[in-house]
Amino acid sequence: MSWIREGELSLLERLSANILKAGPMPKHVAFIMDGNRRYARKKHVERQKGHTQGFDKLAEALRWCLNLGIHEVTVYAFSIENFKRSKEEVNGLMELAKEKFLRLLDEQENLEKHGVCIRVLGDLTLLPEDLQHVIAKAVVSTRAHTKCFLNVCFAYTSRYEIANAVREMAWGAEQGLIKSSDVSEALLSQCLYTSNSPNPDLLIRTSGEVRLSDFLLWQTSHSCIVFQSVLWPEYSFWNLCEAVLQYQLNYRSIQKARELHKEAETAQQLESDRSCVAELLRQGRNGKPIDAHSRHSALLSYTAGREERVSRFLSALQQKRDNFFEQMSSLTAVA
Amino acid sequence: MALVYEFVWRVLHVVLQLQRAAVSWFQARAWKRTWLLWRRAAGAVLLPAALGLAAQRRMGAGAGRRPGRRCRLLADGKALEKLPLHVGLLVTEESEEEEAQFTDIANVVVWCMALGISYVSVYDNQGVFKRNNSRLMEEIAKQQKEHLGSESCKYSSEFLNNGMETQEQMSRCHTVVKVLSPDDGKLSIVQAAQQLCKAVEQKQSTSKDINVTVLDSLLRESKNIPDPELVLKFGPVESTLGFLPWHIRLTEFISLPSHKDVTYDDFLHTLQRYASCEQRLGK
Repeated sequence: MSWIREGELSLLERLSANILKAGPMPKHVAFIMDGNRRYARKKHVERQKGHTQGFDKLAEALRWCLNLGIHEVTVYAFSIENFKRSKEEVNGLMELAKEKFLRLLDEQENLEKHGVCIRVLGDLTLLPEDLQHVIAKAVVSTRAHTKCFLNVCFAYTSRYEIANAVREMAWGAEQGLIKSSDVSEALLSQCLYTSNSPNPDLLIRTSGEVRLSDFLLWQTSHSCIVFQSVLWPEYSFWNLCEAVLQYQLNYRSIQKARELHKEAETAQQLESDRSCVAELLRQGRNGKPIDAHSRHSALLSYTAGREERVSRFLSALQQKRDNFFEQMSSLTAVA
Repeated sequence: MALVYEFVWRVLHVVLQLQRAAVSWFQARAWKRTWLLWRRAAGAVLLPAALGLAAQRRMGAGAGRRPGRRCRLLADGKALEKLPLHVGLLVTEESEEEEAQFTDIANVVVWCMALGISYVSVYDNQGVFKRNNSRLMEEIAKQQKEHLGSESCKYSSEFLNNGMETQEQMSRCHTVVKVLSPDDGKLSIVQAAQQLCKAVEQKQSTSKDINVTVLDSLLRESKNIPDPELVLKFGPVESTLGFLPWHIRLTEFISLPSHKDVTYDDFLHTLQRYASCEQRLGK
């Protein structure tokens, strides 16, 4: 089974898709694909079969998303907490992942046709080495594609991601690239694994559970969250439409909340710059008074300096991450 | 063709909005009625047994309103299989700062107290409750007196305001009430990050020392509350609107259509739902 299932929608589905598309559409949808094991139990098949069917459903869902004009999808494939499952199940999942990523490498042409860029978010070093190599290779080979994006969260939890972002910023401070006072909400967002994606507009969790289970906690602060009771392998086009409708009903209130948040964030940044300038001026002038005009120009030059530091740091970080993937993927060639 | 699609979309959304309004209107009213119906139905089936009970109940009712209510609250708390340690109340409705909503939220807070929940936090993304902290406090104290009678001093509460903790009433408190705003969410994570980076800058530690546990304990220190096991979301907006992103990792979200005129039965129903669900914690 390939990564994106070919095929068109039926007439009725196409009609509904067009009606939905008359309203505001989410640009980025995130899925917690829950319910594979319950599905297997329900159908009296092996657990592994449930997981395989879950993957097939993902291929189908990606096709629907494309049809609905949703060009970025993020999925929760494997949590760091899932390592606690039985060894047999974990191994099965690792095998499945390896098989699918190998398959992806064979499907280059198809992915190129659709312009699909695949990113894998998480701490890859926690995975078996052979899987790391295959994943890195898949990521590097689709990196240039820009039409649609599939982010696979693997060996991921949101807390781990946030702590990792803080570690990266501390690394920047260690290297003298940034100051600790440069740390801000915007910078932290830029240091997450998801730095290259906009925040999801819609988060869907299947199987009736009503929690986030450590998935994109930071990024979904102002996303529409829809909990659906259907098990993931039974997910249908109509379930997706229902979720999009929910998003549309919530669109205005959430947009308003986002703007409010944006304003607060800008105000915080200004406040922090001001206090840094005040501190600098206090030190530099030994308490002599300063007029409003030079205070303002000091603020402007401080802000410009901070922005330059931050962008230098971010490109260093990106370089570091790119290198990691490149090294990993080239190792495969040797092996 | 595009015009036709747009027209159908608009009609669809008007219908959905109407449906949503109707559902929340019915939910506010129908609950009580169905509950009464069920009781009556059960009474009819179990008539012989019920007769004895009813006689007892009449006697209980004669003993006065307050103790009866209090007993019920305590009994309900005991009947629940598991009780969350920390409940978050997330208000997503567009709120004008009117009296009624403080009363409604205060009611819910007092029910939580009576059931024996140790931490209750109240959040809205516009900071209405944070700005009107004292008003909410007064309202809680008032409702406490009304619901729980003279014993209310047993349930005193502690409020958090701008990091300064002020003890209200007596300190023999069972329930901690915290009023939260977006500043307690991402901003507090950023502040913790700044603190850790500063330590690294001053060579007191290295970036390698930073991990989930370190960050978590730092955030716990500043907030001094456990992660909420349950968030009751009031209002039609399906979003967390920035509610404590770090802390809601395993939180169950249960929605109620509105906090306006929310009834005790609605509230108890959500707690029963919480008590019945099982978490596998990744396994």
